[in-house]
Amino acid sequence: MQRKAIIILILFIAAGIVALAVWKWTFKKSDISMASKKADVEIEAGILTQAFESNEEDANAKYLGKVIVVSGVISVISEEGQDISVYLKKDGDLSGVMCTFSPGTVDTNRIKVGNTVKIKGICDGYLMDVKLNKCSLEK
Amino acid sequence: MKKIFLAFLSIGLFQIAGAQKFIAKNGHIWFYSYTPIEVIEAHNRQVVSILDAATGDLQFNLLVKSFEFKIALMQEHFNENYMESDQYPKSSFKGKIMDPDKIDVEKDGVYPASVSGDLMLHGITKTVTTTGTLEIKGGSITAKAKFTVSPKDYNIEIPSLVENNIAKSIDIHVDVTYTLPQ
Repeated sequence: MQRKAIIILILFIAAGIVALAVWKWTFKKSDISMASKKADVEIEAGILTQAFESNEEDANAKYLGKVIVVSGVISVISEEGQDISVYLKKDGDLSGVMCTFSPGTVDTNRIKVGNTVKIKGICDGYLMDVKLNKCSLEK
Repeated sequence: MKKIFLAFLSIGLFQIAGAQKFIAKNGHIWFYSYTPIEVIEAHNRQVVSILDAATGDLQFNLLVKSFEFKIALMQEHFNENYMESDQYPKSSFKGKIMDPDKIDVEKDGVYPASVSGDLMLHGITKTVTTTGTLEIKGGSITAKAKFTVSPKDYNIEIPSLVENNIAKSIDIHVDVTYTLPQ
Protein backbone atom coordinates (compact mmCIF):
# COMPACT_ATOMS: atom_id res chain seq x y z
CA MET A 1 0.00 0.00 0.00
CA GLN A 2 2.74 2.38 0.99
CA ARG A 3 4.71 1.42 -2.08
CA LYS A 4 1.74 2.26 -4.26
CA ALA A 5 1.51 5.67 -2.63
CA ILE A 6 5.18 6.32 -3.33
CA ILE A 7 4.81 5.31 -6.99
CA ILE A 8 1.82 7.62 -7.38
CA LEU A 9 3.76 10.42 -5.76
CA ILE A 10 6.70 9.88 -8.13
CA LEU A 11 4.34 9.85 -11.10
CA PHE A 12 2.81 13.11 -9.95
CA ILE A 13 6.22 14.75 -9.62
CA ALA A 14 7.28 13.45 -13.02
CA ALA A 15 4.09 14.80 -14.58
CA GLY A 16 4.76 18.12 -12.89
CA ILE A 17 8.27 18.31 -14.31
CA VAL A 18 7.07 17.46 -17.81
CA ALA A 19 4.32 20.09 -17.58
CA LEU A 20 6.82 22.69 -16.41
CA ALA A 21 9.23 21.83 -19.22
CA VAL A 22 6.48 22.10 -21.84
CA TRP A 23 5.35 25.40 -20.33
CA LYS A 24 8.87 26.82 -20.38
CA TRP A 25 9.45 25.62 -23.89
CA THR A 26 6.25 27.16 -25.28
CA PHE A 27 6.74 30.49 -23.61
CA LYS A 28 10.41 30.84 -24.33
CA LYS A 29 10.45 29.43 -27.82
CA SER A 30 10.63 32.73 -29.65
CA ASP A 31 13.10 34.09 -27.16
CA ILE A 32 16.09 32.24 -28.53
CA SER A 33 18.94 34.64 -28.90
CA MET A 34 19.33 36.50 -32.16
CA ALA A 35 22.81 35.08 -32.55
CA SER A 36 21.40 31.70 -33.49
CA LYS A 37 18.74 33.02 -35.86
CA LYS A 38 19.25 33.10 -39.57
CA ALA A 39 19.13 36.55 -41.11
CA ASP A 40 16.45 37.35 -43.67
CA VAL A 41 18.35 40.25 -45.17
CA GLU A 42 21.91 41.54 -45.23
CA ILE A 43 22.21 45.22 -45.96
CA GLU A 44 24.38 48.29 -45.56
CA ALA A 45 23.17 50.79 -42.92
CA GLY A 46 22.96 53.70 -45.35
CA ILE A 47 20.90 51.75 -47.87
CA LEU A 48 18.49 50.55 -45.19
CA THR A 49 17.99 54.06 -43.85
CA GLN A 50 17.49 55.42 -47.33
CA ALA A 51 14.83 52.81 -48.01
CA PHE A 52 12.84 54.05 -45.00
CA GLU A 53 13.43 57.70 -45.80
CA SER A 54 12.27 57.48 -49.38
CA ASN A 55 9.24 55.23 -48.87
CA GLU A 56 8.42 54.20 -45.36
CA GLU A 57 5.43 52.09 -46.30
CA ASP A 58 7.37 49.97 -48.77
CA ALA A 59 10.28 49.63 -46.39
CA ASN A 60 7.96 48.56 -43.59
CA ALA A 61 6.49 45.86 -45.80
CA LYS A 62 9.97 44.69 -46.65
CA TYR A 63 11.84 44.89 -43.36
CA LEU A 64 9.42 45.16 -40.42
CA GLY A 65 9.84 42.29 -37.96
CA LYS A 66 12.60 40.75 -40.08
CA VAL A 67 15.98 39.61 -38.82
CA ILE A 68 18.47 41.89 -40.49
CA VAL A 69 22.26 41.94 -40.59
CA VAL A 70 23.30 45.53 -41.02
CA SER A 71 26.83 46.76 -41.65
CA GLY A 72 28.03 50.27 -40.98
CA VAL A 73 30.29 52.62 -39.11
CA ILE A 74 29.65 53.30 -35.42
CA SER A 75 29.00 57.01 -34.91
CA VAL A 76 27.61 57.05 -31.36
CA ILE A 77 27.56 54.57 -28.48
CA SER A 78 25.02 55.30 -25.78
CA GLU A 79 24.09 53.63 -22.53
CA GLU A 80 20.66 53.97 -21.00
CA GLY A 81 20.44 52.04 -17.78
CA GLN A 82 21.47 48.53 -18.70
CA ASP A 83 20.84 48.92 -22.40
CA ILE A 84 23.65 49.65 -24.79
CA SER A 85 22.81 51.19 -28.13
CA VAL A 86 25.03 51.63 -31.12
CA TYR A 87 24.19 54.17 -33.76
CA LEU A 88 25.38 53.33 -37.26
CA LYS A 89 25.63 56.41 -39.41
CA LYS A 90 28.02 57.72 -42.02
CA ASP A 91 29.20 61.32 -41.85
CA GLY A 92 26.89 63.46 -43.91
CA ASP A 93 23.90 61.13 -43.70
CA LEU A 94 20.82 62.57 -42.03
CA SER A 95 19.88 59.54 -40.03
CA GLY A 96 21.11 56.04 -39.45
CA VAL A 97 20.36 52.74 -37.79
CA MET A 98 19.95 52.55 -34.01
CA CYS A 99 20.86 49.09 -32.75
CA THR A 100 19.92 48.21 -29.18
CA PHE A 101 21.56 45.31 -27.39
CA SER A 102 19.90 43.40 -24.60
CA PRO A 103 21.64 43.96 -21.26
CA GLY A 104 24.87 42.04 -20.93
CA THR A 105 24.90 40.60 -24.43
CA VAL A 106 27.55 42.74 -26.02
CA ASP A 107 31.30 42.69 -25.66
CA THR A 108 32.00 46.41 -25.22
CA ASN A 109 35.64 45.91 -26.20
CA ARG A 110 34.50 45.14 -29.70
CA ILE A 111 32.51 48.32 -30.20
CA LYS A 112 34.36 51.57 -30.71
CA VAL A 113 33.29 54.77 -32.39
CA GLY A 114 34.60 54.76 -35.95
CA ASN A 115 34.73 50.96 -36.23
CA THR A 116 32.95 49.19 -39.02
CA VAL A 117 30.73 46.46 -37.63
CA LYS A 118 28.08 43.97 -38.64
CA ILE A 119 25.09 43.77 -36.33
CA LYS A 120 22.15 41.40 -36.39
CA GLY A 121 18.78 42.36 -34.96
CA ILE A 122 15.03 42.57 -35.45
CA CYS A 123 13.76 45.61 -37.30
CA ASP A 124 11.10 47.47 -35.30
CA GLY A 125 10.54 50.22 -37.84
CA TYR A 126 11.49 53.82 -38.47
CA LEU A 127 11.25 56.67 -35.99
CA MET A 128 13.76 59.40 -36.76
CA ASP A 129 16.10 56.52 -37.41
CA VAL A 130 15.76 52.83 -38.21
CA LYS A 131 15.45 50.74 -35.05
CA LEU A 132 16.96 47.31 -34.61
CA ASN A 133 16.26 45.52 -31.36
CA LYS A 134 17.61 42.41 -29.60
CA CYS A 135 20.85 42.94 -31.42
CA SER A 136 23.95 40.79 -31.47
CA LEU A 137 27.37 41.52 -32.88
CA GLU A 138 28.33 39.47 -35.92
CA LYS A 139 31.81 38.08 -36.30
CA MET B 1 29.21 63.28 -28.34
CA LYS B 2 25.61 63.09 -27.26
CA LYS B 3 25.27 66.83 -27.51
CA ILE B 4 26.54 66.78 -31.06
CA PHE B 5 24.10 64.03 -31.79
CA LEU B 6 21.16 65.96 -30.35
CA ALA B 7 22.24 69.11 -32.13
CA PHE B 8 22.30 67.21 -35.37
CA LEU B 9 18.82 65.90 -34.66
CA SER B 10 17.44 69.30 -33.97
CA ILE B 11 18.86 70.82 -37.11
CA GLY B 12 18.25 67.93 -39.41
CA LEU B 13 14.83 66.75 -38.41
CA PHE B 14 12.92 69.39 -36.54
CA GLN B 15 14.28 72.66 -37.83
CA ILE B 16 13.98 74.10 -34.41
CA ALA B 17 14.20 77.85 -34.30
CA GLY B 18 13.36 78.71 -30.72
CA ALA B 19 15.36 77.60 -27.75
CA GLN B 20 12.34 76.22 -25.91
CA LYS B 21 11.94 72.90 -27.68
CA PHE B 22 13.02 70.06 -25.50
CA ILE B 23 13.74 66.64 -26.95
CA ALA B 24 13.71 63.14 -25.49
CA LYS B 25 15.05 60.22 -27.45
CA ASN B 26 14.92 57.42 -24.94
CA GLY B 27 11.61 58.04 -23.25
CA HIS B 28 10.03 55.24 -21.28
CA ILE B 29 6.39 54.26 -21.73
CA TRP B 30 5.01 51.12 -20.14
CA PHE B 31 1.66 49.57 -19.47
CA TYR B 32 0.02 47.27 -17.01
CA SER B 33 -3.01 45.12 -17.39
CA TYR B 34 -4.21 43.69 -14.11
CA THR B 35 -6.67 40.87 -13.86
CA PRO B 36 -6.89 38.24 -11.14
CA ILE B 37 -5.76 35.71 -13.75
CA GLU B 38 -2.85 37.49 -15.30
CA VAL B 39 -0.67 40.56 -14.92
CA ILE B 40 0.68 41.81 -18.20
CA GLU B 41 3.43 44.38 -18.35
CA ALA B 42 5.45 45.74 -21.26
CA HIS B 43 8.04 48.45 -21.59
CA ASN B 44 9.16 50.66 -24.43
CA ARG B 45 12.33 52.61 -23.72
CA GLN B 46 12.76 54.12 -27.15
CA VAL B 47 10.05 56.72 -27.16
CA VAL B 48 10.77 59.95 -28.99
CA SER B 49 9.14 63.08 -27.68
CA ILE B 50 9.27 66.83 -28.22
CA LEU B 51 8.06 69.38 -25.73
CA ASP B 52 7.79 73.05 -26.55
CA ALA B 53 7.97 74.72 -23.16
CA ALA B 54 6.80 78.06 -24.52
CA THR B 55 3.60 76.93 -26.19
CA GLY B 56 3.02 73.71 -24.26
CA ASP B 57 2.94 71.65 -27.46
CA LEU B 58 3.73 68.06 -26.76
CA GLN B 59 4.33 65.16 -29.09
CA PHE B 60 5.18 61.50 -28.58
CA ASN B 61 6.09 58.89 -31.16
CA LEU B 62 6.84 55.25 -30.62
CA LEU B 63 7.20 51.98 -32.44
CA VAL B 64 4.74 49.34 -31.30
CA LYS B 65 7.27 46.56 -31.89
CA SER B 66 9.64 48.13 -29.39
CA PHE B 67 7.40 47.14 -26.47
CA GLU B 68 9.16 44.40 -24.56
CA PHE B 69 7.33 41.77 -22.57
CA LYS B 70 8.77 39.33 -20.10
CA ILE B 71 7.23 36.48 -22.05
CA ALA B 72 8.10 36.32 -25.73
CA LEU B 73 4.83 34.65 -26.64
CA MET B 74 2.88 37.54 -25.14
CA GLN B 75 4.89 39.96 -27.21
CA GLU B 76 4.10 37.93 -30.30
CA HIS B 77 0.37 37.97 -29.55
CA PHE B 78 0.46 41.66 -28.74
CA ASN B 79 2.05 42.47 -32.10
CA GLU B 80 0.27 40.00 -34.30
CA ASN B 81 -3.22 39.66 -32.87
CA TYR B 82 -3.95 42.83 -30.95
CA MET B 83 -1.91 45.77 -32.18
CA GLU B 84 -1.33 44.39 -35.69
CA SER B 85 2.00 46.17 -35.71
CA ASP B 86 2.86 45.14 -39.26
CA GLN B 87 -0.08 47.18 -40.41
CA TYR B 88 0.14 49.90 -37.75
CA PRO B 89 3.81 50.11 -36.79
CA LYS B 90 3.56 53.42 -34.95
CA SER B 91 1.61 54.99 -32.19
CA SER B 92 1.62 58.68 -31.40
CA PHE B 93 0.25 61.39 -29.19
CA LYS B 94 -0.10 65.01 -30.18
CA GLY B 95 -1.34 67.37 -27.52
CA LYS B 96 -0.87 70.37 -25.35
CA ILE B 97 -0.05 71.23 -21.77
CA MET B 98 -3.03 73.30 -20.64
CA ASP B 99 -1.26 76.17 -18.92
CA PRO B 100 2.36 76.32 -19.99
CA ASP B 101 2.67 79.81 -18.47
CA LYS B 102 2.71 78.29 -15.01
CA ILE B 103 5.81 76.31 -15.84
CA ASP B 104 9.08 78.13 -15.55
CA VAL B 105 11.86 76.09 -17.14
CA GLU B 106 14.44 78.37 -15.57
CA LYS B 107 13.35 77.48 -12.08
CA ASP B 108 13.92 74.03 -10.62
CA GLY B 109 10.90 72.40 -9.10
CA VAL B 110 7.99 70.04 -9.62
CA TYR B 111 5.07 71.47 -11.54
CA PRO B 112 1.70 69.78 -11.93
CA ALA B 113 0.42 69.75 -15.50
CA SER B 114 -2.74 68.73 -17.30
CA VAL B 115 -2.40 67.47 -20.81
CA SER B 116 -4.96 66.91 -23.49
CA GLY B 117 -4.51 65.66 -27.02
CA ASP B 118 -5.01 63.01 -29.65
CA LEU B 119 -3.75 59.52 -29.04
CA MET B 120 -3.34 57.40 -32.14
CA LEU B 121 -2.97 53.69 -31.77
CA HIS B 122 -4.01 50.73 -33.86
CA GLY B 123 -4.85 53.27 -36.57
CA ILE B 124 -7.53 54.96 -34.49
CA THR B 125 -7.32 58.43 -32.98
CA LYS B 126 -9.09 59.41 -29.77
CA THR B 127 -8.82 62.34 -27.41
CA VAL B 128 -7.07 61.64 -24.14
CA THR B 129 -6.81 63.94 -21.12
CA THR B 130 -4.67 63.37 -18.09
CA THR B 131 -2.65 65.04 -15.39
CA GLY B 132 0.97 64.55 -14.60
CA THR B 133 4.04 66.29 -13.30
CA LEU B 134 6.97 68.08 -14.84
CA GLU B 135 10.14 68.13 -12.82
CA ILE B 136 12.65 70.73 -13.80
CA LYS B 137 16.17 70.16 -12.63
CA GLY B 138 19.24 71.87 -13.95
CA GLY B 139 17.83 72.50 -17.41
CA SER B 140 16.33 69.09 -18.02
CA ILE B 141 12.63 68.26 -17.70
CA THR B 142 11.26 64.94 -16.52
CA ALA B 143 7.63 64.42 -17.41
CA LYS B 144 5.60 61.78 -15.65
CA ALA B 145 2.00 60.90 -16.30
CA LYS B 146 -0.46 58.05 -16.19
CA PHE B 147 -3.65 57.48 -18.10
CA THR B 148 -5.88 54.61 -19.04
CA VAL B 149 -7.07 53.33 -22.37
CA SER B 150 -9.61 50.71 -23.18
CA PRO B 151 -8.68 48.28 -25.98
CA LYS B 152 -12.31 48.37 -27.15
CA ASP B 153 -12.06 52.10 -27.95
CA TYR B 154 -9.27 51.41 -30.39
CA ASN B 155 -10.96 48.49 -32.13
CA ILE B 156 -8.67 45.96 -30.51
CA GLU B 157 -10.61 42.75 -30.42
CA ILE B 158 -9.91 40.37 -27.60
CA PRO B 159 -11.12 36.82 -28.19
CA SER B 160 -13.64 35.65 -25.61
CA LEU B 161 -11.31 32.82 -24.63
CA VAL B 162 -8.82 35.24 -23.08
CA GLU B 163 -11.32 38.00 -22.32
CA ASN B 164 -10.76 37.66 -18.60
CA ASN B 165 -6.97 37.66 -18.90
CA ILE B 166 -6.78 41.16 -20.28
CA ALA B 167 -7.98 44.19 -18.36
CA LYS B 168 -10.84 46.26 -19.76
CA SER B 169 -8.85 49.37 -19.09
CA ILE B 170 -5.10 49.37 -19.29
CA ASP B 171 -2.85 51.73 -17.33
CA ILE B 172 -0.30 53.53 -19.41
CA HIS B 173 2.64 55.15 -17.65
CA VAL B 174 4.90 57.78 -19.13
CA ASP B 175 8.34 58.75 -17.85
CA VAL B 176 10.34 60.89 -20.22
CA THR B 177 13.37 63.07 -19.62
CA TYR B 178 13.89 65.96 -22.00
CA THR B 179 16.98 67.98 -22.62
CA LEU B 180 17.51 71.06 -24.69
CA PRO B 181 19.39 70.32 -27.89
CA GLN B 182 22.57 72.35 -28.01
